[in-house]
Amino acid sequence: MVSVLGVDATAPSLESLDPAGGTPVSVAPGSPLESGRLEMRVVAAALKPGFAAFLDGIQRSVVIGQLGSLVPVVHGTVGAVVRVRRERVLSTWGDGALVARALYLPFARLDTAMRAACEAGGVPLVDTGEEGDPAHPHGRLASARLAIQRAREEAELTLAVAWCAEGAGPLYVDGSISGFGEAALSPLAVGVVKSHRTLYVPAPDVPLVAGLEVGSRTTAFAVDARRRARIASWYLRVRSGDGADPFSGLVRVEIAESAFSTERADEISGWILAEREPVALPDPRWRVMAYGIRDCEEYLRAVAG
Amino acid sequence: MADILGRVVATERRPNTPHQFHFWTALDAPVGIGTIVRVEGTDPVAGQLPQVYGVVVEGFSYSDLESPLHDVLGADGVPERAGRAATRRTEIRLYTANVLRHIPDDPLQPVALGAVYLAADADVAIALRMDAYLKEGSRTAIPVGLYRAGATASPIHLDADFLLGPEAAHLNISGVSGLATKTSAVEWLLASIFAHFPAKKGSVAALCFNVKGPDLCFLDQPATRLDAADLELYARLGVPAEPFANVRYYAPYTARGYTLNTLRSHEALAHNVQPLTWGLREVLEYAEVLLNKDDVDAKADALIDFIRERVVDQDFRDDLLGEVRRVQSFTDLERWFSDLLKAMEARDRESWRTHHVATIRKVRNRLTNISTRCAGLVTDDGTVSDLPWGKFEDRGVYVIDVAKQEEDAQDLIFARVITQLRERLEKRTLGVDHVVVFVDELNKYAPSDGPDTYVRKMLLDVSERGRYLGLVLFAAQQFRSQVHRRVVGNAGTALFGRMDSDELATPGYATLPPATRTKLSTLDKGELMVRHPHFTQPVFVRFPRPAVLSGREGVERFPQASEPTLDEAIVRALRQLDRTVTLEWVKETIALSEEDEVLRARNRTQQARPEDVKAFFRAQLKRRVAPEVMAPRPRPAIRTGPADDPYAF
Repeated sequence: MVSVLGVDATAPSLESLDPAGGTPVSVAPGSPLESGRLEMRVVAAALKPGFAAFLDGIQRSVVIGQLGSLVPVVHGTVGAVVRVRRERVLSTWGDGALVARALYLPFARLDTAMRAACEAGGVPLVDTGEEGDPAHPHGRLASARLAIQRAREEAELTLAVAWCAEGAGPLYVDGSISGFGEAALSPLAVGVVKSHRTLYVPAPDVPLVAGLEVGSRTTAFAVDARRRARIASWYLRVRSGDGADPFSGLVRVEIAESAFSTERADEISGWILAEREPVALPDPRWRVMAYGIRDCEEYLRAVAG
Repeated sequence: MADILGRVVATERRPNTPHQFHFWTALDAPVGIGTIVRVEGTDPVAGQLPQVYGVVVEGFSYSDLESPLHDVLGADGVPERAGRAATRRTEIRLYTANVLRHIPDDPLQPVALGAVYLAADADVAIALRMDAYLKEGSRTAIPVGLYRAGATASPIHLDADFLLGPEAAHLNISGVSGLATKTSAVEWLLASIFAHFPAKKGSVAALCFNVKGPDLCFLDQPATRLDAADLELYARLGVPAEPFANVRYYAPYTARGYTLNTLRSHEALAHNVQPLTWGLREVLEYAEVLLNKDDVDAKADALIDFIRERVVDQDFRDDLLGEVRRVQSFTDLERWFSDLLKAMEARDRESWRTHHVATIRKVRNRLTNISTRCAGLVTDDGTVSDLPWGKFEDRGVYVIDVAKQEEDAQDLIFARVITQLRERLEKRTLGVDHVVVFVDELNKYAPSDGPDTYVRKMLLDVSERGRYLGLVLFAAQQFRSQVHRRVVGNAGTALFGRMDSDELATPGYATLPPATRTKLSTLDKGELMVRHPHFTQPVFVRFPRPAVLSGREGVERFPQASEPTLDEAIVRALRQLDRTVTLEWVKETIALSEEDEVLRARNRTQQARPEDVKAFFRAQLKRRVAPEVMAPRPRPAIRTGPADDPYAF
């Protein structure tokens, strides 16, 4: 049955929303950990704060020039920070944020003199052509963005490992922890993924995921990606959706597989649900963003520019 | 090293200027409106690391919310839930400060980013430029109160050269009645001046007009309500917590003349209360104060001038009047007028020395009326009891109680006293070098609108020229906007207690930031905002309760004496000179005398202060022979005639 709603001229268009971020989407089922098939469970734990700190990173890339006319020179800024919470007040952990700036361009396109001139500016250079230099300028931009993303993930990883080594309490990580090396194996790191380009459930179970009620989660499953740690994961409905996107208000939680139990999953889900207040407005991702993560991004914007 | 209080911040939308800067602090920083801070610059200016001093004039608090609705959404509309949220929202405390001083002050640049510190004592002195007049050897500092912020409690000083002249002078204090404590502030400041006025500047006395209630009636009595905090303030500011040592009160008599028309009439306090009475000589010069300009035309004015210059206190000779006349009192003047008019009538003359008879009658009516209109103050017989002109004492306080006087008498007293002060200070014959004149209800005596009165002109003259003579006006009013602009404008120092909100909305306060105006409308008793020539921005201070008995307590402890009989009034007056005077003696002495005569005798006795009071008093009364009571003469018995006398009774 198809129900046709009236056309709302003020509603954002799909073109503007682009929920998948312009990259391909996929369904890649994980291995069930709690039951044979995917089920919905009401979170059977108290909704109380349990995270000691929040980890997030930012990246910003700007084309500042061209080599010739087809080779963009990209200035990238990355930053990562852990903000620890003591008596409800957030402050920066350790020696502060990790911030790095560099110029991203394919070295193969630089002659010696141009390279010397770039290096004379005092900003580090990063070769974006290590895995091949696309002929298309847009491809070169994508390579630069990818390199910058890796730099950001590297900064986040560094902090996550350091935090987990100190053992100072559960760490809310914005995004996946499967690429965090040792931190992904620590019981302290909890990854909260806000975007759902890949759904780790069988295709028939997608409606179940989309139909999760607020305060409910799916049963857990293991995700085993290439060159990443095997982690336990489940979907959790944090808030009701916005009506346009079925996955709005939905997050996917990751923890070390060795640390998984049903009770632990419920406990961590209760912590995540408790982070709904204070609301992370005015960030447009507020439905699935913890205030502590917003705080990390605000802090990084202040110190990294 | 002091803790950093905050950091200067500037954005394109909210930049800093040479006169204003912004800074943020931790949420629990001891900063508020009126706090003085110091900014330490990091880049040298003219070879020196700059320091900027400012006073906080506004504060802002906001979080990272774009809209209050977002907080409502986050808490699902339940306020308690917001308080239980896992994390406290990021919140900023942002303050705006107006610059007090730059060091170096040239070149004058916008305030640079840097650390902000709470001002300590030394900082406060520099910020308010008090360092210039706090130097040992050339100190002219008069403490006005204590500035407090956090743990800092710094004395704030006024510069005597700018409070009492000659650089600037006069003080104006505004505030709502009953809450602003204007009178208390003036009492406190006078005590501070007496304690700290530099010896090299000479002597200083105070003259106060008590225009309402008993507030100024007990300045020589100690306060009963000074607590430890007050005493600490006195100690910190270097002022003794004591009443004024040398106070004299002056008040006219009541219309009836029995007692002085003052609330300070208790017998225990009568020792330093004296009558204020003037005769023709003292009053005629100020006749225009009491005479309506519309009523007294040029012709009448000319006759008054003639009488003043040629008749009063002179041996006046005129063919019409016959014998030489010497007019020295209103009684003499009335007699002079009467004789003159009778003589003119007898000779059927319509004018005398170019003055028409109608003019003469009019002037007679107006002048002789003065003693009636100012009964108790102006005497018919010329008896004078005046202020100790020429003998004002250093640190003396002279209070003239005009609270119960009619408006005419009040105006006359103001006019004469202020004019005498000015003239004697000009000639340096007052006895002191400086006089502080305290006037309350200035909006009544120097209003911003209304006809141009003698009193207002005189106050204008004092405010504009008084500082060169050492004549300093301390004036108080509830509504500054209702006082003549030039009078308030010439006051170098202004104090503000709690202010009325409507008054704060008038244009005169537009230069104050909104937060400062709000603070002014909520000031506690004992708090003031101070404006002084050295301070580029006003400062808030706290001052102690005055060390004198308050008016309300004073009338409870020393209730007003009841209206006496004539006998009792004479006893009260003479006992101040001779404690052996008794009621019986007075009754016996004045038994045959008229009331007027008795009062005259009393006045003369008080004026002369003789050794033998009783003899002097008795001598002032006319000798009367008391009628002897004759014993009845024995009446001879009526003789009866012989029984046979046909003519016998």
